[in-house]
Amino acid sequence: MQTGKRAHARTWWDMMSAWGTIILLVICVIVMLALPASPRKYPERIPIRFWHMWTAEWKDVVEKVVDRFNESQDRYEVIPLSVPGVSADSKFLLAVAGGDPPDVMAQWNQVIPKWAESGLIVPVNELMAPSEWEAFRHTAYPAALKIGMYEDNLYGVAIGLDLYACFCRLDHLREAGLSTKKFPDTLEELVQWGETLHKFNSNGSLARIGFLPLDMFGYAPVFGKGFYDWNQQLVRLCAEDNLKALNFLVEERQKLGFKNVLRYESGLGNLYASGIQWPFISGAYSIVVDGQWRVEQLAKYAPDLAYATFPVPAPKGGNKLAGWANGNFMVIPKGAKQIDGAWEFIKFWSGIENPERAAEFYTWGGWLPLSPAIANAPAYQEFVKKNPQFQTFLDLLPSENIVPTPPVPYQTYLSDRIKAAEDAALRGTLTPEQAFDRLGIEIQRELKSRREFGYTDKPILGANS
Amino acid sequence: MNRNWTGYLFISPWLIGFFVFTAVPFLFSIYFSFTRYDVVSPPVWIGAANYAKLLFDDPIFWKALWITLKYAMIAVPLGLVSGVALALLLNLEIKGISIYRTIFYLPSIVPMVATSVIFMWILNPQIGLINGILAKAGIAGPAWLQDSKWAFWSLVFMSLWGVGGSMIIYLAGLKDIPVSLYEAALIDGASAWQRTRHITLPMITPVIFFNLVMGAIGSFQYFAQAYIMTNGGPEDSTQFYALYLFNRAWRYLDMGYASAMAWILFAIVMALTISIFRTHHRWVHYGD
Repeated sequence: MQTGKRAHARTWWDMMSAWGTIILLVICVIVMLALPASPRKYPERIPIRFWHMWTAEWKDVVEKVVDRFNESQDRYEVIPLSVPGVSADSKFLLAVAGGDPPDVMAQWNQVIPKWAESGLIVPVNELMAPSEWEAFRHTAYPAALKIGMYEDNLYGVAIGLDLYACFCRLDHLREAGLSTKKFPDTLEELVQWGETLHKFNSNGSLARIGFLPLDMFGYAPVFGKGFYDWNQQLVRLCAEDNLKALNFLVEERQKLGFKNVLRYESGLGNLYASGIQWPFISGAYSIVVDGQWRVEQLAKYAPDLAYATFPVPAPKGGNKLAGWANGNFMVIPKGAKQIDGAWEFIKFWSGIENPERAAEFYTWGGWLPLSPAIANAPAYQEFVKKNPQFQTFLDLLPSENIVPTPPVPYQTYLSDRIKAAEDAALRGTLTPEQAFDRLGIEIQRELKSRREFGYTDKPILGANS
Repeated sequence: MNRNWTGYLFISPWLIGFFVFTAVPFLFSIYFSFTRYDVVSPPVWIGAANYAKLLFDDPIFWKALWITLKYAMIAVPLGLVSGVALALLLNLEIKGISIYRTIFYLPSIVPMVATSVIFMWILNPQIGLINGILAKAGIAGPAWLQDSKWAFWSLVFMSLWGVGGSMIIYLAGLKDIPVSLYEAALIDGASAWQRTRHITLPMITPVIFFNLVMGAIGSFQYFAQAYIMTNGGPEDSTQFYALYLFNRAWRYLDMGYASAMAWILFAIVMALTISIFRTHHRWVHYGD
């Protein structure tokens, strides 16, 4: 009897413990969900959820801009969230698909055409008054406009363009007996300079690269129209000028020997490494083509390094002030709850609303501005005065020859296959002609499939177009 | 009845997780594979067009499949042989054996990303450890990860780094072999090789079988190392199936196409697993 009573008591106690545990767990979950992620500074205001991909020191700059916005008015509060770059796109996609996207996102990946085609982001020109849109089209730098456009709508507002120019080490130039005041006017002359600056070890391996061109996206616009006809809005691949550009890259690589270059570059680590790890700082290269953010990095990590910047010169019959552009831009996702607030924030940061005020934000990140009004603002001019090598990039900004990757919905695939063609040609696996033939076949095949799947892409232009 | 419900209630977090995050997406992906789907817009039915394109009009798909198959055919047997060999060595009763076991097992618990970064340095053609050793022997080592002829083999070589994981299972299998078998063999005058060939290896065939199946499945899902170290290059020489699938899904937003790829992969892995299972009665011994 006693044993039965005890057993009954234990079963009752076990059940109570089980239910108690469940209830405790449920309470914990509810409390966790109910707690705000971070305390808000202005809880009475309408929240604007802002996603960006910057981390470390850049995150601080972003937060500084956000703080300025939040201090500037009393209706909205922007809440920034840094989403790591690798998974940012997929998180954004799933957030939109799940119906709970951020109100605004800063991006730098090649996403606008595909996201616009999928209806993932809203055309921001529709948020502008017709006169505002007209003014924007006429005042924004060509590259800033091209980077944000898909078909005839603006989907991304540039908040910092990235352009590319030559960086040269003056100590190397002096050592080779080259001018430190007047830089090459033609690409052919630049190549000659490079040959003078190359250094080899006794066993024939490279000890220093004077100048070595790479990247089809950068050189195709220098040799001709590049990969996109902006008037006809059509992709152009197997064109004579593009082939010339690839031939040029291959010839220059062959002069040094592909394996020789590969070994040299592998030993240096990443050619695009940031900060102090950039091989230009260690003197591994005399002249390199890189982006404007290096000016600030050089000031920070190698303040005593004497260098100069100049635009990539045009080859005979080619384009001056030409090259590839990318950059940071703001997009508003479909389903954003606070589109008006998001637009307010975009106008504030980009300088559409007040160029003079926004000029300061651009200087914090060392970013290239959206329009001449910002570039000419006192704060920005002061910044250029402190960093005179920045001027080269400002000179590039008004050029129509600075172009981003073709804005087509299959942009990422196109970009991957162009890089694959370049890689095959540079390695000598294919001749430049064969590489372009293969590229043409691959893109045509992709387009054919896309048409079968119901997409309505424009055809690509053929050879010699 | 009541107790059953209590049991289900306790495992409900897992059940909900399984149905919501595994079973339902698994089933939905069958439907998506017959659609044009970019995650955001509603899927559009296109019949078997994804499969037709994959099978008849996508050379990268075939290249990725071949690379993955080649990897499975080379890396899995290589892992098995080295795993068994290592386990046999670490089964010897020598002083400090537990330290050796720990040393050989440790690499398999190092996170994949960290391992990949370490190997990027080890395989660096200019300043890497391997080429440094080769240079001392007067050999100019290749540009491992940057050379299309060597990148794939570098990843195969790297796969041996994690062999400690299977080694520990083989070791457990070795410990399970009854000592009486070895005693009987010794009385019969069997040599060390004969004991290994006729007792040890047959007795651990269930473990080899398990590692073969798991290794084959794992090799078809090979992704992280190729994504971090080579990103499919150079010249698509490490464009593994799962990497191409990922690119199609998340970079090109072609979820329907990627779903079709996933189902073809599923069919291949299933077929392979079934064929391995069909052969097992010929070479796997369960000691009966």
